[in-house]
Amino acid sequence: MKTTLQKFFTPPEATDLDETRRRKLLNILLVSMSILTVMGIIFAAIDVLSRGKPSQDLMLIFISGPILLLLIAGISILNRKYSGKIAGTIFLLVLLVLFYFTDSPAELAGGRSFFVFIIPVTIASLLISPAMSFIFAFLGSLEIFFITISIGTSPNYAGFIGLFLVAIISWLSARGLEQALHDLRVVNAELDQRVVERTKELSAALTRETVEAGRREAILNSIADGVIVFDRNGTAILSNPSTTNLIHKSQSEIVGMGLNDLLDSEDVKPEDRGSLAALLEKSAQDISNLRVQWGRKTLSVNAAEVRDGTSQTIGTVAVFRDFTREAELEQMKNTFIAIVSHELRTPLNAILGYAEMLKEAVYGQVNEKQKNVSSRIMTNTQRLLEIVSDLLDQAQIEAGKLKIQMVACKPAVLLDNVRGVMEKFASDKNLNLITELDPSMPSMIIGDPQRLQQIIVNLTNNAVKFTDSGSVHVKVAPFGEKNWQIQIIDTGDGIPKDALAYIFESFRQVDGLSTRQHGGVGLGLSIVKQLVERMNGKITTESEIGKGSTFTVTLPLITQDVSSTVPPSRQE
Amino acid sequence: MSELALIIEDDEDLAEIFGQALKAADYTIEIIRDGLVAQERLGQVVPTVITLDMHIPHVSGKTLLDQIRADERLTKTRVVVATADAQLGEAMRGMADLVLIKPITFTQLRDLTFRLHQKK
Repeated sequence: MKTTLQKFFTPPEATDLDETRRRKLLNILLVSMSILTVMGIIFAAIDVLSRGKPSQDLMLIFISGPILLLLIAGISILNRKYSGKIAGTIFLLVLLVLFYFTDSPAELAGGRSFFVFIIPVTIASLLISPAMSFIFAFLGSLEIFFITISIGTSPNYAGFIGLFLVAIISWLSARGLEQALHDLRVVNAELDQRVVERTKELSAALTRETVEAGRREAILNSIADGVIVFDRNGTAILSNPSTTNLIHKSQSEIVGMGLNDLLDSEDVKPEDRGSLAALLEKSAQDISNLRVQWGRKTLSVNAAEVRDGTSQTIGTVAVFRDFTREAELEQMKNTFIAIVSHELRTPLNAILGYAEMLKEAVYGQVNEKQKNVSSRIMTNTQRLLEIVSDLLDQAQIEAGKLKIQMVACKPAVLLDNVRGVMEKFASDKNLNLITELDPSMPSMIIGDPQRLQQIIVNLTNNAVKFTDSGSVHVKVAPFGEKNWQIQIIDTGDGIPKDALAYIFESFRQVDGLSTRQHGGVGLGLSIVKQLVERMNGKITTESEIGKGSTFTVTLPLITQDVSSTVPPSRQE
Repeated sequence: MSELALIIEDDEDLAEIFGQALKAADYTIEIIRDGLVAQERLGQVVPTVITLDMHIPHVSGKTLLDQIRADERLTKTRVVVATADAQLGEAMRGMADLVLIKPITFTQLRDLTFRLHQKK
């Protein structure tokens, strides 16, 4: 109903908002006028019927009523189709004319009906334009002026002033209203503009974000390594297609999976699960490139914490690299070294044996010179054998085949054996080889005698090699309550500070020259370090140029037989 | 006649060296380079010392060692396992009298076996 009325009152062509408002107002006035006119006609009719005899006034209504309705209709058409201002002006002029017939000229000019002239003044300010109130105040005054002349009274000057006063007030209020409406429209327009701009910005940002996200996803999807992102609770929240290729689980399967569920797969060896979980849960700083077997593939896994802008940990990102080919190559290399080393040993053993037999005169007497040559063959063969042994050990360590066999062994025997192996070598260089067993050292400990001996012999051999005069001191003693130590102290050249960092690396010697001078391929210390670490121990070096070096191996002290099923070694 | 030493070793040169070492340790030596021959010979003779290579043709060193340990006639026979494989050597320590990891030198074998000889 309300909207129908609204439609009815609103002019069809709504271009100027003020014009529209005025035309609408005029429409309302016209409708009201029509209703009032119709009501007037009805009242007149009722009056005629009740009194039986029509008065002159009523007759006037009967005649003028329809004329007025026709006029209203005309103005309405004008208002709707052409101009609101013209229609309004005509409407108000009609009103002025109409007023003339509403009361006696005397009452109109200054009596009870004078107020009707205020109506066109106020309506003109609203309906046509604020300043039009003055025009209609003037027209009203003119009409009153002629009325007063026609009835022969003096003009109502006070009334004229009153009309102009009303005109001023109407002008001011209409102007204020229009100004306020105008300001409101400006504010609205600005707001609209701002909304449009903001919407544009948001849409641009959204597009950018979508493009950026798409680009990131494309990058993630084209990485050859598998990537899984876990949230703080260890639930996978993101993965890429490479992961699917590596662990044979689809992206949708992986996302939402808990860490434990992911690892609890028959593809993952039970022994690998613990270390993988440790890496991924705590993203342990010290583990990197963790090698695990996943189904048929060998994977190298790394993990890092993901932090947001405020350095808060929001999860872990794990990267899985296919290491299968590398692992195969490594395996081939190790197998190759093992075979070659093994095959080298047999003929070397034969050379050593024959040289020794020549020297020992098994095949008849030899002279001093021949004995010397035999010794030289033996020494060089021994050196070659050492290198082959080192290579074999290194290969075994790398292949993870080297096993530490914990059995009961006697430190005293270890030292005796070392002395047996190294004494001649030391005395040949006029070095004093001292072996010292601390009295508080338990007489029986649990360890791998073969590997312990290898550690001590390697370090002592190294010390003798790099010491030209003085002594090499091998010391075994308890260290604290839970550890024991092997110390090899020499009076050699010492190791430069910058070299201390890499002396335990494979195939390294302090400088290229000393390799030639001292022999070996630079594996001895590397093997020692790896053996010590396999025994959960630590090796440290202190050295002073010109004074000598001290190598200290610290190992956990185990005195009770923890693996009683392993028979005690017969070596002791 | 001096005591018998069996050298079960397939490498010709090592067999020669071990043979000479045992000869120098005052044993009568017999070199066998095949597992099947070794099995047969072990049923016929009672050696004082046997040097046993773990990798010989046809029969493994481990099988031979088991056979020796199961044979009542050979309870006094000392078995010296000679192997290049340190791991295997460690595993044999419980059954062998001596385990020598190759390279094994002439004097080493001579002196060790000479001591076994003297103990008897």
